[in-house]
Amino acid sequence: MKGTNLGEFQELVLLTIGVLYPEAYGVGIKEEILSKTGRKVTLSTVHAALNRLEKKNLITSDFGEATKMRGGKRKRYFTITAFGIKTLNETRAQRDLLWNAIPEQVFQVNWQL
Amino acid sequence: MNKHNRPPLLFQHFLSWFCHEDYFEELQGDLEEKFYERVKSKGISKARWAYRKEVVKLFRPSVFKKIQFRYSNNTNMFKNYTLVAYRNLLRNKLFSTINIIGLAISMAVGLLAITFVSEIRSYDKFHEKADRIYRVFNNRTVVGKEPQAYASTSLLTGIKLKEEATSFDIIVPIYNGFNGNVKKDQNLFKLKGQFVGEDFFKLFSFPLLYGNPETALQEPNTTVLTEEFAMKIFSRKDVVGEVLEWGPYQFTITGVMQQPPGTSHIKFDAVASLKTYEIREDRSRLFNDWSVMWTSYVYVHLNTNASLEQAQADLDRLAEKENAKTEFQQINPGLEALTDIFPGDGKYNQIDTVMPKKNIDQIVILALIVLFSACFNYANLSVARSMKRAKEVGIRKVVGAKKASLFVQFISESIFVSLLALFIAFLLFKLIKPEFISLNLYTERTTTLNLTATNYLYFILFAVLIGVVSGVIPALLMTKLKTVNVLKGISGTRSHKGLNIRKVMIGLQFAFSMTFAILVILIQKQYHQALNFDLGYNTEDVVNITLSGKDTKLLQAEIAKVPGVKTISTSYFVNSTGVLNSDWAKIEENSDSVTIYNNWVNTDYLDNMGHQLLAGVNFDKDGPSDQMIVNEKLIEKYDLKSATEAVGKRVYFYDKYWTIVGVVKDFHYGTVYNELNPFAYLYDTSKEMYYMNVKIETSDILKTMAGMERAWKTVNPKNKFEAEYYSDSIKRMYTDLSSSMKTFGMLAIVAISISVLGLLGMAVFTAESRIKELTIRKVLGANVLNLLTLLSKSFLVIFIIAVVISIPISLQLFKSQIASNIEYQIQIGFWELSSGALLVLIIAFFTIGSQSIKAAKTNPAESLRND
Repeated sequence: MKGTNLGEFQELVLLTIGVLYPEAYGVGIKEEILSKTGRKVTLSTVHAALNRLEKKNLITSDFGEATKMRGGKRKRYFTITAFGIKTLNETRAQRDLLWNAIPEQVFQVNWQL
Repeated sequence: MNKHNRPPLLFQHFLSWFCHEDYFEELQGDLEEKFYERVKSKGISKARWAYRKEVVKLFRPSVFKKIQFRYSNNTNMFKNYTLVAYRNLLRNKLFSTINIIGLAISMAVGLLAITFVSEIRSYDKFHEKADRIYRVFNNRTVVGKEPQAYASTSLLTGIKLKEEATSFDIIVPIYNGFNGNVKKDQNLFKLKGQFVGEDFFKLFSFPLLYGNPETALQEPNTTVLTEEFAMKIFSRKDVVGEVLEWGPYQFTITGVMQQPPGTSHIKFDAVASLKTYEIREDRSRLFNDWSVMWTSYVYVHLNTNASLEQAQADLDRLAEKENAKTEFQQINPGLEALTDIFPGDGKYNQIDTVMPKKNIDQIVILALIVLFSACFNYANLSVARSMKRAKEVGIRKVVGAKKASLFVQFISESIFVSLLALFIAFLLFKLIKPEFISLNLYTERTTTLNLTATNYLYFILFAVLIGVVSGVIPALLMTKLKTVNVLKGISGTRSHKGLNIRKVMIGLQFAFSMTFAILVILIQKQYHQALNFDLGYNTEDVVNITLSGKDTKLLQAEIAKVPGVKTISTSYFVNSTGVLNSDWAKIEENSDSVTIYNNWVNTDYLDNMGHQLLAGVNFDKDGPSDQMIVNEKLIEKYDLKSATEAVGKRVYFYDKYWTIVGVVKDFHYGTVYNELNPFAYLYDTSKEMYYMNVKIETSDILKTMAGMERAWKTVNPKNKFEAEYYSDSIKRMYTDLSSSMKTFGMLAIVAISISVLGLLGMAVFTAESRIKELTIRKVLGANVLNLLTLLSKSFLVIFIIAVVISIPISLQLFKSQIASNIEYQIQIGFWELSSGALLVLIIAFFTIGSQSIKAAKTNPAESLRND
């Protein structure tokens, strides 16, 4: 199933939307990613990811009030849909499953390194 | 906030141009928020750069506006358009007929113009080397006169160029004189051809079927025939090696060429080698005299590395050398490109008939006028009928038709109509084609109007174009209709603004029609007058026989025996048919030189032609060959008191002295184009006579003609008997007039029928849209005449204006274009001018009248019962 598989960046954006709830919008998400992960992303990248997520029905959006800061343009707030939550959970479950399947030695070897 | 505190404007616009509406607000907001933040943290210029970068990065497909395809049901809609168009044509049969026939008539003229122009333009294009072939022409200036351009040049030019010039690699001299008859086994075949240089086939693309093009014309007395001419003589094409007789000479056929296309400005049945003449002593002047330039031509091919300027310099050098040898004239040769020869700019001495450029422009302009009228008619009628279709437009709009699709609908409808018209136009074209070709001397000799595949393509494109042109105004008006108004039944379509334009256009059409009609009548009058001009002598029942030189006396005796022949005389040429002869003359005691026109005649001529002697006597048969009979104008010119005084005077004329023995009453020796000048009949027994003037008095003309032909055959069995009525010779002189009469006659018919069709449409429309008013008037007691006046009143003003415009224009056109060089013009009075206009008016009123009467006669109940 194509729709349920999330890209790495898309997952990051989706999670950030969750973090910023209920005020996740373009610039906010970008800043949050910068502060939490140190990754410098452009607005267009964020926008593209948001676009795709919305198409996959993982998130939904609403316009907020107009603010002077943005030259009178309204913000578009994103929230995760139930399907989004489910997908996040599934992704997390997949990760956990994999995490748990990694043998102890792997961690030890790496640790010695 | 100053200007520089803002994000870059250009990139804002760019974003709004490509960004999808759904994302635009959000994205722009985000960008601006980030921008102002950056302004604070990093400064204005960095912020602006960052903004630009972001916008460029946003330029990706997912953000783009969606391109919408509006006509997903294209084919269905076009099917529907055609169906609706078809139904509309059927519904308004009268209007459809008017439209289609009007368009068809004018399109037939358009098709003629297309075929004609494309044929004329294709002249000489078939030569492979056409772009580097030039013809040497001569600008000849006789001292004290204006220079004149001749298409011909001396053969010497060709020889000298070959010796001295470096700019040309092929030089082909042509001597136009391989004419007359060729003989094969006692059969004579009429021939038209040229003597040409040996490189003729190297320069021009006339491929040979038989024979070697390189050597065919190298030897004297060799000739190459065209396919058709070979077939005519031998009934086969493979005739290389056969011998033909031309006068005393024998020509060996060395080749047969593929039939040359009709679009060659050099036309021939056969060409012969110029060497034939080069070796003959008696013709040496042809080749070594710079001023013998009347029937010879030189064609050259420019070197690949020579420029036109270099070539001209070569010619100028030659001219300088040769002109130094004579004093009374200067000949300056120039070069003209092969493809510029036809249509021509009016050079003298063309090798064959060349259509003047002027003719082509005229035909194109006239065709455009006619086409314009017809397109206007279509537009006018469609607009007038638009009310009837307003509902359809309204419904279509409600159902979702966009302006563009309605526009497409109406345009495709008019294209549909014009394609239908094309079909009829094509039939009409076939019908008038022969008429057009025989229109004048030029078209007759140079055009065939054969259709090529390209022509057919042009025809279809032309029809589409006409469809678009005629449909665009109605289509625009229809698409502008307001849906709500239309469906509510408010007629917003009767635009009074349009009515004025319509009136102007109808007025213009009628002005054109009347102009043509008046011109036809004027020209017809002039033609008639020219033919029945009182020449001052009698040409009635006189037949002129062309003499072949020998045994004139014997022939005269034979012809005199034929029953029906009354009197016979001979003359050097036939007066009043455009031929003129003149020389400078001096009367003994008077030192002034005067040009005297003249003709040589025998003693019987004056009596035979009914000339009236005012003084002196007729020529004395046994007298000396210096007798002269002059006209009254000569007496005037020399200020002599009376005709009697002139008798006995001696005149120095044609290098000798003549004695005036008599004076005749003035007569028109020339045509209506020439004014009367001094004229003299000369009696000179040594002069060869070329015409025999036979006066006939018989009830059976055919028998007399046959008798004369038999008489001719007994004296002159080899040559053809050529005789023509004097009046026919005169008529031939005025083909110019008769052909312009035909042209304008044709145009008048076309223009009148188109404008009358338009008028008919308008009249029907007016009557129909006012039918309720008319019937109410009728119920209240108006009679047919009242209604007729009511309906024609608005048209009357238009007609009066049209008459006022057309009369001076046609008068001016007649005076400046047609009769400008006519010395004896017709008297133009009220009736000459008004009868043409009147004719058009009568037709017009008849048209309106028929509609009004129809409207007036309908039962009032028919048109009122619905209210």
